[in-house]
Amino acid sequence: MDKLFQKQLERSRLASGEVDLAKLGELVSEAYREAAQDRRRSDRSIELMIEELDELNRGLECEVNRQTAELRAKRAELEIQNSRFHAALEHMTHGLAMFDSNTRLVICNRRWRQMYSIPESEDLSGKPFIEIVEKISRGGSLPHRFSSPEAYVDYVFQQVKTGEASFGLLDLNDGRTFAVTWQPTQDGGWVSIHEDVTDRRRAEQRIAHIARHDALTNLPNRLLLLDRLKESLKEAGDRKYTAVLYLDLDRFKTINDTLGHPVGDALLKAVASRLWNCVKSRDTVARLGGDEFAIIQSRINNRNEASNLASRICGAINAPFDLDGHVIVADVSIGIAVAPGDGNEPNELLKNADLALHRAKAAGRGTFRFFEKAMDDNMKARRALEVDLRQALEKQQFSLAYQPIVNLAQNRVSSCEALLRWLHPERGLVSPAEFIPVAEEIGLITDIGEWVLRQALADAATWPESIKVSINVSPTQLTSGKMVPLLIDVLRETQVVPERVEIEITEEMLVLNPDASQKTLQQLRKVGTRIALDDFGTGYSSLIYLCRFPFDKIKIDRSFVKSLPEHEPAAIIAAITSLARSLDMITTAEGVETETQLKQVQALGCTEIQGYLVSKPVSAEEIHRMLYPKGSRQVATAS
Amino acid sequence: MRAYHLSWSPAEGWKGESSEYGMTDLVIYFGTREALACSERYKELHNRFPEAHILGCSTGGQIQDDDVTDESIGAIALGFEATELRATCQPIEGPIESYDCGAKLGRGLAAEDLAGIFILSDGLKVNGSALVDGISSVVGHGVPLTGGLAGDGDAFQQTLVGCNAPPQPGCVAAVGFYGNAVRIGHGSAGGWNVFGPRRVITRSEGNILYELDGTPALDLYEHYLGEEAKGLPGTGLLFPLRISDPDRPNHDVVRTILGVDREARTMTFAGDMPLGWCAQLMRGNIDRLAAGAAEAARNAREGFTGSSGYTGAAILVSCIGRRLLMGQRIIEEVEAVASELGDSIPRLGFYSYGEISPHAESGASELHNQTMTATVIGEAAGV
Repeated sequence: MDKLFQKQLERSRLASGEVDLAKLGELVSEAYREAAQDRRRSDRSIELMIEELDELNRGLECEVNRQTAELRAKRAELEIQNSRFHAALEHMTHGLAMFDSNTRLVICNRRWRQMYSIPESEDLSGKPFIEIVEKISRGGSLPHRFSSPEAYVDYVFQQVKTGEASFGLLDLNDGRTFAVTWQPTQDGGWVSIHEDVTDRRRAEQRIAHIARHDALTNLPNRLLLLDRLKESLKEAGDRKYTAVLYLDLDRFKTINDTLGHPVGDALLKAVASRLWNCVKSRDTVARLGGDEFAIIQSRINNRNEASNLASRICGAINAPFDLDGHVIVADVSIGIAVAPGDGNEPNELLKNADLALHRAKAAGRGTFRFFEKAMDDNMKARRALEVDLRQALEKQQFSLAYQPIVNLAQNRVSSCEALLRWLHPERGLVSPAEFIPVAEEIGLITDIGEWVLRQALADAATWPESIKVSINVSPTQLTSGKMVPLLIDVLRETQVVPERVEIEITEEMLVLNPDASQKTLQQLRKVGTRIALDDFGTGYSSLIYLCRFPFDKIKIDRSFVKSLPEHEPAAIIAAITSLARSLDMITTAEGVETETQLKQVQALGCTEIQGYLVSKPVSAEEIHRMLYPKGSRQVATAS
Repeated sequence: MRAYHLSWSPAEGWKGESSEYGMTDLVIYFGTREALACSERYKELHNRFPEAHILGCSTGGQIQDDDVTDESIGAIALGFEATELRATCQPIEGPIESYDCGAKLGRGLAAEDLAGIFILSDGLKVNGSALVDGISSVVGHGVPLTGGLAGDGDAFQQTLVGCNAPPQPGCVAAVGFYGNAVRIGHGSAGGWNVFGPRRVITRSEGNILYELDGTPALDLYEHYLGEEAKGLPGTGLLFPLRISDPDRPNHDVVRTILGVDREARTMTFAGDMPLGWCAQLMRGNIDRLAAGAAEAARNAREGFTGSSGYTGAAILVSCIGRRLLMGQRIIEEVEAVASELGDSIPRLGFYSYGEISPHAESGASELHNQTMTATVIGEAAGV
């Protein structure tokens, strides 16, 4: 019997043992109800569960759809990005190749293929780096410095291993130059970027060449010369010498001016070529500019080798040049400095060679000179003089001395020559012969000349009217065009009568710039001043000048007077005085020191004498006293 | 150890005493609230066993051997040869005091040779899991705690617990067993099955559940109960909730409803409903429930180590929800237990609002719901 029913029977049994059927019925019915209820409950819960799960399912489905749509959209986006990326890659002007951690090619762009001549059709993806390098090598594009593809591969691996970007400038076997950057990537591979810099490199090399070479002759320029000189000096060591030869072409400027620049350039090129042929291959020929050249003669055993070379050069340059129909003969001056004696620093050597060059020029050109310490000293002294001279005017260190000139017939002073004096605070009186050329050279002469003019006329204003003042002028003043206006100005200021002023010039000035000189002289003449030709008989002594120019006086050089009573000088003096008389000029004999000389020149017909016999040059005060012996005219001395 | 049944019925009064059985140390009794409301039954027991500790509580029905009854009061008298006993109780006003209450009980019973504790707790004012944690915090997880929460049928109005005093509401009683002779075997099993989607506890406070997956949990229950929703909270027992920590999915706990608040749309459970835990509805199948009961009994028996001839008694604490589901067929679970334990072990039990037993997996004592929890207490052979 069913256990439950048994229990139900038990519970329905009355005390008497009988079964209460009603009770039993109740219990049984209840049991059925409970069972039915249980079943309904079960069904319901299952139904509801299914509902819920369905809903969840739908929700999940929606979610899946949404996510799928999202993914699809993302994928479309990615594809667009990809194609953009691909386009960017393919249009790069640089070549790009990417390798993974197993050295296999991941991607390469069109430009990279072009650069290494790999056709588009050939698929290289996944190929190991070594294979690709072998292929490139077969195509002739292996970098020159690597003897084999393996060597190049090893090199790249080393660069990549550092983990840092690296760069290489590779000269390929086929002559091109590539700039390559290797950038390691996080996954252990790398990206390489390639640029063809062949043209750029050539341009750079060209620029470097231009920077160090002279454009016209293609010789090294000063920069490169100094570099080479430095190296030479280093290499020479203790036992060998290095010579520096500094050259310039004599009268190149004239040639250039007369025949034109194209010819001048052609000459320079031809000179460069001849110089080149004179030297050994280890020597350097450089052009420093203009017509200046320099040569480094390295590892010589003695100075003779340098002088031999200099001689050879002088000879080579001396041979005529035939340039486009022009036959040109040129000379060269050479200054030589030898290291280590004359210096062991490039600039010092060049400077000393330059000083030697100046000496060579001064010695007459077409020759060479070695540097001497004295040159340097001279140069230094000269520099010092220049400096002092510049300041001399300011510091009122100049003064004028006057030397009287006596008219023989009248036996009295006819004029006084103004002579410039410079009292240097340390050196004392500096000879005009020393400082006047320097003044001319450094352009100071015009200012000094002006001062002289003013001072001399100011002094002359205090002299008797019958006494003239004689003033020397320099070529610069004569040709400047400013002299005459200045003179007029000063004449007005000092109230001196123009006829009292005598301008002394030398023949040289006439030669140097005849036209300008003539113009000035004519103007002077118009103003009324007198003109004297100084130091006649020396120098050019061209008699045609006596016609060309309006002279009033000829001054016969002291050298003739000194040589008296010899026949020739006497004859010449006689000739000059005769000539002068016929041209209505007076003559002055310079340097008369003795009575005998006086008598002689007088006999030969000179109008005036000047010299120690009369008086040495004296100060303005002294002249004043001389001209006013009784002190009758008190005039303040201008200075 | 000696054990024998007693029962009281309105018609016949107390039955079952035998003078052969010597001194009694502990009497445990169960009856409905109505039956225990007056203190007479306690007094009668006390008179009969003046030396014994007397513990009892109100129920949702009694199990006496093979029977399940409501009208009679069931009791079991235990006499120990070599085991010391100590009984204590604590008052409790509300669930919030549960942990501290448990700790106090623990302090009252703690000792080196404490072998186990049997607990009868108020069923409506207690957060059972907190109570158990409180006791364990003092005595350690090595001491097995068994027992249950008193019941009030399907009324959920008031439960009564008595410890050497007439049973009253707001009381938690515990008896400790001391010494090496005592053996305690325990087993707890449910037999309910989860069904439907996994949900998440999205709003809760202690043992009050507000929302599952963002919607009021009460809505879900009313939906599933349909017509039977009128019977909440009682009918809520038909669909217990299995909850688990998402980080420890194997360690799950079943929870029963103790009450509902239709206005606030909340449901009160017998233990904590931690926020963020997973929750799944469960349903019962009578056969499986019965099998579950058998399993519990089997585990209790196997845990009760003793050679042949052991003597023990079994206290069964089963959940009211099971009774509600199985209806008259409740006897199937009782018989299942009987067939596992055998006739030599007298059995007394009650239908509770919660069961206390060590967890089958972790061994730590916990509050269980919807289970058949069997505890076999005895002394080693020869005693």
